[in-house]
Formats: sequence, C-alpha cells, structure tokens
Amino acid sequence: MHNLIQLSIIVLLLPLLSFVLLIFFNRRLPRNGDFLAVGFLGATFVISAWIFWNVIVIGYDPAFKLVWNFNWIDFGDVPGVGPLQIKMGILIDNLTAIMLAMVSLISLLVHIYSTGYMSGDKYYGRYFAYLGIFTFSMLGIVLSDNLFSIYIFWELVGLSSYLLIGFFFEKQSAADAQKKAFLTNRVGDIGMWLGILILYSQFHTFGYEEIYEHIKAGDFHMSQAWLTAAGILLFMGCVGKSAQFPLHVWLPDAMEGPTPVSALIHAATMVAAGVYFVARIFVILTVDALHVIAFIGAITAFMAATIAITQHDIKRVLAYSTVSQLGYMVLGLGVGAYSAALFHLLTHAFFKACLFLGSGAIIHAMHHEQDMRWMGGLRKKMPWTFVTFTIATLALAGLPLTSGFMSKDAILAGALGFAEVEGGGIYYLIPVFGFFSAMLTAFYMGRQIWLVFFGESRAHLKPAGGHNDYHGHDDHGHHEVHEVPWAMRMPLVVLAALSVFAVFSPDPLDGAKGWFMHLVQTPETVVAADMQHDEGVSSHHEASKAGNEGVHEEAGTMLHTAEAGSEQALSAMHAAADAAGHTTAEGHGEPHEEGYGEAHHGPVFSDPRQAAIAHAAHENHDPAIMYSSIMVALGIGLALIVYAFGFINPEKTAQRIRPLYLYSFNKWYWDEIYDATVIKGSLLLSRILAWFDSNIVDGIVNGTGALVRKFGTASGGFDRYVVDGLVNFTAFFVQTSGAAMKKIQTGKVQTYLVMALVAITGYIVYYFIQITP
Amino acid sequence: MESFSTIGLNHYLVISAILFGLGLFAIVTRKNAIVVLMGVELVLNAANINLVAFSKYSGDMEGVMFSLFVIVLAAAEAAIALAIIINIYKTFNTVDVSSIDSMKE
Repeated sequence: MHNLIQLSIIVLLLPLLSFVLLIFFNRRLPRNGDFLAVGFLGATFVISAWIFWNVIVIGYDPAFKLVWNFNWIDFGDVPGVGPLQIKMGILIDNLTAIMLAMVSLISLLVHIYSTGYMSGDKYYGRYFAYLGIFTFSMLGIVLSDNLFSIYIFWELVGLSSYLLIGFFFEKQSAADAQKKAFLTNRVGDIGMWLGILILYSQFHTFGYEEIYEHIKAGDFHMSQAWLTAAGILLFMGCVGKSAQFPLHVWLPDAMEGPTPVSALIHAATMVAAGVYFVARIFVILTVDALHVIAFIGAITAFMAATIAITQHDIKRVLAYSTVSQLGYMVLGLGVGAYSAALFHLLTHAFFKACLFLGSGAIIHAMHHEQDMRWMGGLRKKMPWTFVTFTIATLALAGLPLTSGFMSKDAILAGALGFAEVEGGGIYYLIPVFGFFSAMLTAFYMGRQIWLVFFGESRAHLKPAGGHNDYHGHDDHGHHEVHEVPWAMRMPLVVLAALSVFAVFSPDPLDGAKGWFMHLVQTPETVVAADMQHDEGVSSHHEASKAGNEGVHEEAGTMLHTAEAGSEQALSAMHAAADAAGHTTAEGHGEPHEEGYGEAHHGPVFSDPRQAAIAHAAHENHDPAIMYSSIMVALGIGLALIVYAFGFINPEKTAQRIRPLYLYSFNKWYWDEIYDATVIKGSLLLSRILAWFDSNIVDGIVNGTGALVRKFGTASGGFDRYVVDGLVNFTAFFVQTSGAAMKKIQTGKVQTYLVMALVAITGYIVYYFIQITP
Repeated sequence: MESFSTIGLNHYLVISAILFGLGLFAIVTRKNAIVVLMGVELVLNAANINLVAFSKYSGDMEGVMFSLFVIVLAAAEAAIALAIIINIYKTFNTVDVSSIDSMKE
C-alpha cells in the first residue's frame, strides 16, 4: 500500500475517532472534550497538509493518480444479477488532495472558532462530536473511489447535516428546518441512487475508473438516452446536496443551525460535495445532460441572487449567496469549464466560510441579533471582523485582486465560449444569467457590508418584542458590542488571507496561470463522439466523423482559424477536419503548440466539441473580464448609491415595484408552491392511503379475523361437545361401573371366600358339562 | 358287599371330603377368627387324610412325607395366624371377622 494511501486512511479515521470518543464520553472529559476534537482535527489537518505538500507541491503533475481498493463484500454469484462484489477504496488525485486539505483546514478552523462561539452551550460536547462525524463523512466523499462508497458517505453527510441543523432542536423552527433539509435531500438522493443503478446494471461495477473505461470502450449497450438519463439522475444527487433549483429550498432554512456549522457544512464543504460529485462523473456526462446541468446552474445562480437582495437576515443573505455561487459552479461544469468550476469551489469555500464565520462573530457580538436592519456602525467596534469580512465580500463579489475574481471569471469565460460553440440563441441565456448574477452579487454584498458595518447603530430602532424569533434572551437592554475573542478572530484572518489572488495565481487577472488550473485540468470525455451524434447541434460532430484519424493533432490548427465567430468557426472546422484526412502528415509535424500558445496550459481534446469549447473559452477570457468587471462595478455602484449616499431610498423603491419586491422577498414563493403542490399532494395522498388502509386493508384484516373467529368457535364447539363428550363419557362409564363394582368389595374376608368358592364351583361344573355332554 | 365290610380307599376319601366340607363351612360361616382358624385346620387335615390314603394304596411313602410337611406347616401357620389374630384384637378390639372390613372400597 502506498504511503499516501495509508496516511489518507488515518486522515479519514481520526475525525471518526473524535466522534466516537466525544459522543460517549464528552460529559466525563474536562471542557466537554473540545480540546480532544480540536486536537484530532489538528492532526487531521497536519496529515492532509502533508499529503497536499507531497501531491501538489512536490509532485506538481496534472496526471497524478493513486488508486487502492479492496473487496469489501463479496456476495458471490447472485441469481438474476450475476457476480456481485462491492469494493471500497481510495482514490487520490490532485483534486482529492486539494479537497482534503481544504476540508480539513476549514473544519479545523471551524472547530477552533466553535470553542469561542459555542462556549456555554448545553450540548457543547455533543456539538463537537457531530462536527467530527461530519468531517469524517466529508473526507470519505472526497477519498471515495467508487459510486457505492461515495453514496454511503453522501448519506452520512446528509445525516450529520440533519443533526447539526437541528442542533438547537428545542426550537421548533430548527426542528422543522432539519426535517426539511433531510427530506429534500432524500428526493435528490433517490435520483442519484437510480443513476448509480443504471450504470451498475450495465457494467457490474461501481468504480469510477472502471466505468470510464467501459464507456470509453463502448460497452454501454442501451441507447444514448439512457446514458443521458443516468447522468441527469446522478446530477440529481448534486441538485439535492448542492441546493440547486428546484431543490434549493432547504439550504436557507438550514441556517437555523449554529453559525460555524453553516460556515462548514452549508457554505464551504458539504454543499460543494454535489459539485465535487458532478466533477467525478463529468467525463461520462453526455452533451444533453451537460446542457441540463448548465441551465439548472444558471437558473439557480440567477434566482438565488435575486432573492438575496431583499432578505433582512444576515445569514439568509449569505445562504442565498451560497446557493447562487453553487449555481455558478454547476453552470461551470455544465458548460464544460470543469477546472474553472472546481477552482470556484475552492475559492468559494474559503471566502464563504470567512463570511459565515464573520457573520457568526457579528451575531455573537450583537447577542444573537441577526436582522441587518437593526445593525450598523460595527466597523469601529469590530475592526478585525470588518476587515476580514470586507476582503471576503470583495472576493465573493469578484473584484480584481481576489481569488473569487479569477474563478468566477474563468466560469463566465467558459459560459461565453460554450454559448458561442453551441450556436448562440437560447444558450446565450447562460452567460447572461451569469453576468447578471455577478452584478446582483456585488449589489447585495455591498448592501450587506453597508447595513452591517457603516452608518450608525440602528439597534434602538428595533420594535420592542416585535422580532423575537431568535433565542429571545437579548431583550434585557442592549449590551455593549465588542470584538470577539481570538479563538474566533484567528480563523477569520486565515480564511481572509486565503481569499487573496496570490495564493492561487501570480497573475491577478488570469487564474489559468495558477497552480490550480494547471493541476486540475478538464478531463477528456469518455462518451464517444458518434454516441453523441443524435443530439441536436451536430455540425461540428460531423467534422469529427469526417476526419477522425487526423483530428487530434488538427484540432489546434483548426481552432486557430476559428476566431472570426462561431458560424465561421464551425465551417472552418469542417474544412480543417476534411483536410485532416489527407494531410495527416502535416498535422503530426507541429502538434497544437501554435493553437494554444503560451498562455493556455489546458489539455488538448480529441473530442471536437470539448476542444472547441476550451478554445472559445480561452478566446473569451478578456471579454469576460471586461463584462464581469462592468457588472461588478455596476452592482457595487448601485449599492453605494442606494445605501451609502442615499440617492435612492430603498423603501420607496420597494414600494414602487412592490410586486417584484414581494416576489423576491418571498423567495419566488417556492415554499408556498411546494406547500400547495408537493406537501398538499402528499397529504392528500396519505389521506387517501389512510382511508384505503382503514377501510380496505383493515377490512380484509378484520374479515379474516372474523372468519378465523367463526372457525374457532366451530372448532371450539367440536372440542367441547365431541372430544370432551368422549372423554367425559369414558370417565362417566368408569365412574358408574366402578360404583357398581365397589359393592362387591365388602372388605369381609369370608365374602371373598364365598365368591371364590362359587367361582371355582361354577368353573368345575362348567368343566364337567364340557367333558360330559 | 365287600365294599361295605372291608375299609377301602373310598371310605378314606369320603371321610376326607366330609372333613373338608365341615372345615370349609366353619371358615365361611363362623364369625370368630379362632373358629375360622380351626376350620382351616380341619381343611388341612382333610388334605392330610387324602395324602396318607393315597400313599397307602399306591404303595410308596411320598404321600406320608407330604402329610408330615403339611403338619409341620400347619403348626407354623397356626402360630403365625394366632399372632395375627392377637394383633387384630389389639387394633380392632374384636376378633369378629365380619366386623373387620376396613379394606372396603
């Protein structure tokens, strides 16, 4: 077993150990065992960092991959299924190593932060135990090498999310939120499981690598629609876990959990697991499935951004912002900007965790006030929080010099390139949604910063007792607001430092020059080009058929000529591919260098569609920077105009566009829509089923019961009269005959003697009669 | 006629039968246990007469030997029977066999 594999197993098991120890013994340990949890996580982080150092810094190889697995369960030859073996294993590649370090770092920071934030809680020890099991499951997702084990860990993170959302379970809203989160995730997970089963039915394996190879070899014997269906069903798992439209409703409610949990689970790691999972199955997704994913992501990004601008709760704004950013990542994967999407996952994890921990600091300092309308003026009172929060906000809004700028820009460039290659029209909606969301993001984050940190404190404006749904123990006068302790400040500083561009790339304008985009490169799709043929946009696929042998090397040249625009690009591809058949020799001579040049380190794709998108995305890098900068400037400008300078009164504007305002404020009425359809529908269904149960099923059961009772009565009668009758008759006969016979037994010796005499005499007489007839 | 003048085997057998009948009569009808015992002695002696008579007419001594054993047994029996009767008397305060019926039912 490779050294790194052993280490990664230790990394996986340490948080589990922390969970087991704390869940059983936290009451017996000093400080409820928080030092134990922090210590274990510290060790986890150190080992993860060691793996990261070895894989990323020393290795620095885009193709690094380490797989180890063993037979977990062997069912033998199952009738109707065939040989059934389930393997467990560990896959370490660059993405895993990065995720490992990211998850354990944020988890460690959240542990440290929680020692300050949660101190004095009734279930302090149990809280750290839950954090432990969450970290374990999340690391399991990251390290899994097959669909089966990722599904197990997937459900485990669902469980720990459930436990932590409802951590304040004495509060009704928290209990409701945890149920909502769990059930909503269930919907997505069912789809994911069905997708896994479709793939399993074809290949009889759960391993990623084996599935890729099978599909590449064309072993998928059903129609391509089934592969698309499998891709979309697997994506459903992501829709649930990453809170994508239409299953996004649980994430904002999940903010009922403790704020550090929101930072760890519902912003940085678990919700990103969906994106990570889609990245793992990225290569088997068909073009149709990718289109669905791109549109879902775009809709999510846009919708959540529009909702975020009107929310009052500081955490809810961040929650919708998270949904929106997750939409970006999914959009990025859908348009084929794989490495950009994962880059955004990483950068978003740091700055969103920073924002949530910052908001936790604010809530902590404000004595559980979460409504931004009653905040204000915290800039001077909480300078550390202010600075870190602002840096993270700038990263989220996507201002240059931040990490968020690079990753978001890469996604938007990918979206533009995608729209170009797919031939415009409706596909331009995706980048348009993306850019518009970028503007809204800048706006609502500007609004938040201004409402929270600038101006004067508005705490006195709060209507007394009118807004009492959080904790409620802050009504006895307003305490002095103070900066939070160091245990809470330190994580903020670390995370804010990780939101700066220099961590990821030397060039603040181009993430592609950084180490991340070098190490995590968009993989080659394994879905064969001719399998994608029955899909609508097919002109460039014909090119691939025409010049199949030469196209690999030709792609660079071909795309180099495709600058003039998509229509011309496609016709140029035709020509180039046609030519490829004849001029292969030339193509071999100078492979792809001139096509991509120095600036682009990306891989060369043999799949023409991927190649075209990668090229177009690269071409659109500068326009994307320009558009997104304009959008961000617009958004921040608008926020400043409205909230800083007061040129536009937000309340009056809201009144003027009241229907729109209410639509956003009420979260597009999704909760109400689900209530009216899904929930009412289920209630109706359960009522029908209850009726069916109580009348039909119970009727059958009761009828059977009555029948059995009748039969029992009859059988009882038979028993009583016939069987007992026989027994009683025997007894009666014996009794009466005994009573008759006992008369003979006089007890007098002489009587017996007489009887014997009579008998003997009788016998002798009989004897003589016999012999003398 | 000769059968009347000379005593033959039949005479012995008749005597024996009469003695046996008297003994049996005594056993069945008498109430006193002692008298019943005496009846038993009569029955035994009736058997002895039979044995001796057959012995005489068959020419060997086996019957005599048997009767001697019977006499010895009768003596032992009388001793045991008397002991039982004494015990019955101690228990029931009577030797009336018709009133000793606690074995009834």
